[in-house]
Amino acid sequence: MAQQEPSAIERFINGILPENPVYRQLLGMCPVLAVTNAMKPAMTMAAATAFVLICANIMISLIRGLLKPHLRILIFTLTIATFVTIADKVLAAYMYQMSKQLGPYVPLIIVNCLIISRCEICSSKQGVGVAIADAIGMSLGFALALASIATVREVLGFGTWFGLRILPEAWPNWGIMALPPGAFLTLGILLGIAEWVSSMKKQKA
Amino acid sequence: METISNLILLFISAALINNFVLHYFVGICPFLGVSRKVDTAFGMGCAVTFVISIAAFLSWTFTYYILRPAAPLPTWVWQAAGGDAAVQVDLGVLSYIVYIFVIASSVQFVEMYVRKFFPPLYKSFGVYLPLITTNCAILFACLEIMKHLQDPTKLWGLHEALTLAIGGGVGFTIAIVLMAGIRTELDLCDVPKPLKGAGIALIVAGILAMAFMGFAGVDKGLAIAISSSAQ
Amino acid sequence: MSGTSKGNYITQAWLVIFLAVLYGGGLAAVQIALSGKIAENKRNETYSVIPSLIDGAIKENTVETLVTGLNGKDIRIYEACGGSGARLGWIIPTGGQGFADRIEVLIAVNADVSTIAGIYVLDQKETPGLGDYITGQDFRSRFAGKPTGKKLVVVKSDPTADNEIRALTGATISSESVSGIVNDAIANLKEPILNLPAKSGASASS
Repeated sequence: MAQQEPSAIERFINGILPENPVYRQLLGMCPVLAVTNAMKPAMTMAAATAFVLICANIMISLIRGLLKPHLRILIFTLTIATFVTIADKVLAAYMYQMSKQLGPYVPLIIVNCLIISRCEICSSKQGVGVAIADAIGMSLGFALALASIATVREVLGFGTWFGLRILPEAWPNWGIMALPPGAFLTLGILLGIAEWVSSMKKQKA
Repeated sequence: METISNLILLFISAALINNFVLHYFVGICPFLGVSRKVDTAFGMGCAVTFVISIAAFLSWTFTYYILRPAAPLPTWVWQAAGGDAAVQVDLGVLSYIVYIFVIASSVQFVEMYVRKFFPPLYKSFGVYLPLITTNCAILFACLEIMKHLQDPTKLWGLHEALTLAIGGGVGFTIAIVLMAGIRTELDLCDVPKPLKGAGIALIVAGILAMAFMGFAGVDKGLAIAISSSAQ
Repeated sequence: MSGTSKGNYITQAWLVIFLAVLYGGGLAAVQIALSGKIAENKRNETYSVIPSLIDGAIKENTVETLVTGLNGKDIRIYEACGGSGARLGWIIPTGGQGFADRIEVLIAVNADVSTIAGIYVLDQKETPGLGDYITGQDFRSRFAGKPTGKKLVVVKSDPTADNEIRALTGATISSESVSGIVNDAIANLKEPILNLPAKSGASASS
């Protein structure tokens, strides 16, 4: 092998900021925009995605020696769809209101490119330990991205954070932030800021 | 008459008011990725509309006969095998797996069919077909159809499922073509460096979404217009 | 090494088949463990609001009935019953076009379908900050006690007649949508409900 595969710790750290799935790789944009009008649904979504990502990564890593190249994607899809169904049923059983609010976006985790790309890039090549570290790192990075957007949108849109009021009652709620355009504008501007910060760092270095 | 007006409203709602891209955020990846030139964007939109209709047809058939609660086929098998008739058979837990395979196989099928019988068409949008499997818009349409096949007192028919799917596909095409048109113009503009690429595309999408919010209420007005002209 | 046995699909695909069986088993276990709870959650969504709509109704005593509306379609309605099992009213789940997308509403009426006891909005996508106030107690209480004999009319000032509903400020269309949904459901179901056979079981014995 010409190139050294990254170690567990590198994988873990990469996932959080340097290769952040949302800000750096632009993966999984659909939930990032759809469920971030408040912190609660955003964090539930992040947890569900993390569950599926970690389980799928472990499973694929365990059977990586048996994978045939042409059946690879089929097996990835089967694994992801199964874990998503489990996550969806558990949400419906224990957090019914939240599951109703998230609606179709829980099953849409199946086509979240983040998970299939981690299966392809990491867990189908490396051991279980590395795969777990990678999945946790990526999930944290994804949760961080969701949290940053949801914070902006919930604070400006409702004056609250996790349902707790933090801006004075006099704050005029920016209704647009809770609506679809607010999602696009917030993510666009945050992407710009992330890009600007990393270019400043490069200049200094 | 009522059916036709319902279908018109469903179509308008799926294509404009609750636009798949700008309201439900599904299909964002190709929306940001393939929206550089108007004609490629249009090709992608046509391909998605085509696949979404086929996937909707298949997923409606599967859901109606097999996957919905108390669906005819598994109930028949259950009772033929001597199962208790009072027990409601529900295979809903398999829905997501079935849908994702329906989508993957219909993409494969469409690709082979178009390549064999319509080579010019294949040339114009065939290259986008494999990308569509992971397009959330198609799975989203299947899920919406599933949602309307749960309550046995108000089941959707095939015509409603197909209207939703085609409306969604047309809405996706409208959004992606508009976006491509704006982005070709944007290339000539002086965009701040950090916003170049995805950043400015998202902000433009935000403004487009705001414009599409103006369609809210069109369905209500149309419903009133249709019902008053029918009287 | 493994690709040499051409055409032997079983050796090629044994992993897929094995995984399919494994996942199938897992999903079946999840389904058996959780389906009861999910069904209960779904039922509870309607049942838990019944006591707040009809005074004295007890959630556990609710009875589901299928009724055929004047438009020929079957609708599942709920019969709200008190502690002794006596019929206190009916809950009609219905819905219709709102300003944006469908509005799903529960309408509570008293036992002889003469007055509206209250309404509850289950699902809506009206404009946040304007139309979505239809879910609020303030707006919903404007329907309580209205007679079902006349069609409800939405007005922009304080109501002067007993069939008038005051519109929400800036959301007249959403308000009209809700009152229209209520009017349609009552017009469609009032007679069929009154024609339902007298209650058997609990009330007959009480």
